[in-house]
Amino acid sequence: MKLEAATDGALLLQEIPPFLFALLAEIPGRAASDDPRVGARFFPDPAADDELVEDWKSLVHPELQELFQSARETVRADLRSASENDGTRALRIPHNHTDAWLSALNQARLAITEESGFGEKDMAAEAAPNPEDPREMALFQVGFYGFLQECLVRMICSDHG
Amino acid sequence: MPALANPEIATCGQHALDAPWNVVVHNDPVNLMSYVAMVFRRVFGFSKEKADHHMLEVHHKGRSIVWTGTREKAELHVQQLHSHLLLATLEPAPQS
Repeated sequence: MKLEAATDGALLLQEIPPFLFALLAEIPGRAASDDPRVGARFFPDPAADDELVEDWKSLVHPELQELFQSARETVRADLRSASENDGTRALRIPHNHTDAWLSALNQARLAITEESGFGEKDMAAEAAPNPEDPREMALFQVGFYGFLQECLVRMICSDHG
Repeated sequence: MPALANPEIATCGQHALDAPWNVVVHNDPVNLMSYVAMVFRRVFGFSKEKADHHMLEVHHKGRSIVWTGTREKAELHVQQLHSHLLLATLEPAPQS
């Protein structure tokens, strides 16, 4: 897979092998987890104050829910527009979609981590994954999404100095 | 405007409302260090150095007080941090 920054600020992902494109295609679905542990992580309490927590649930959570969903939909649409050539895919992440991608990638990483119960030690592991082991593959997926997130953060930070 | 039945309590309540609040960011194993620093720069307008300092404090100490001020603004900042999926809370700042 090749990554390149276009002159218009888009991030181009080219020659994406089917295996990696399949992982990319999973981003919106993995991010939209209905696991209660994921819900608790996406919508943490803002303070040890029951009244504020209740207000937060009714006023802030719906806004965040909408924001997270909108990011997933943007990513889903970008993935649908990926082109195919010689068995690989090419994907263009427009500059004005980078925030949506950062959010959806983060949502997916957090969701997988919560569902799999990964901790600090797991996240630091660097060994190559065993494709037969779903847990190791989930960890690889979190790492792959993290790599893409890092590329997007670097692009944004190079824009703003 | 009606006269206050108990001006002392009202004054005390007003003081509590004006008391400063801290915005605290907590460590988690998932969020990338570069991402956390980027969010700090966006939300608080920190310089790169200040954003990195708070990001490293979160990473090494488990939490960092990133902002102190009115409760209303602290709530807004926590909401902004939650929208970036950072673990953030607000708490009353200790008063000397």
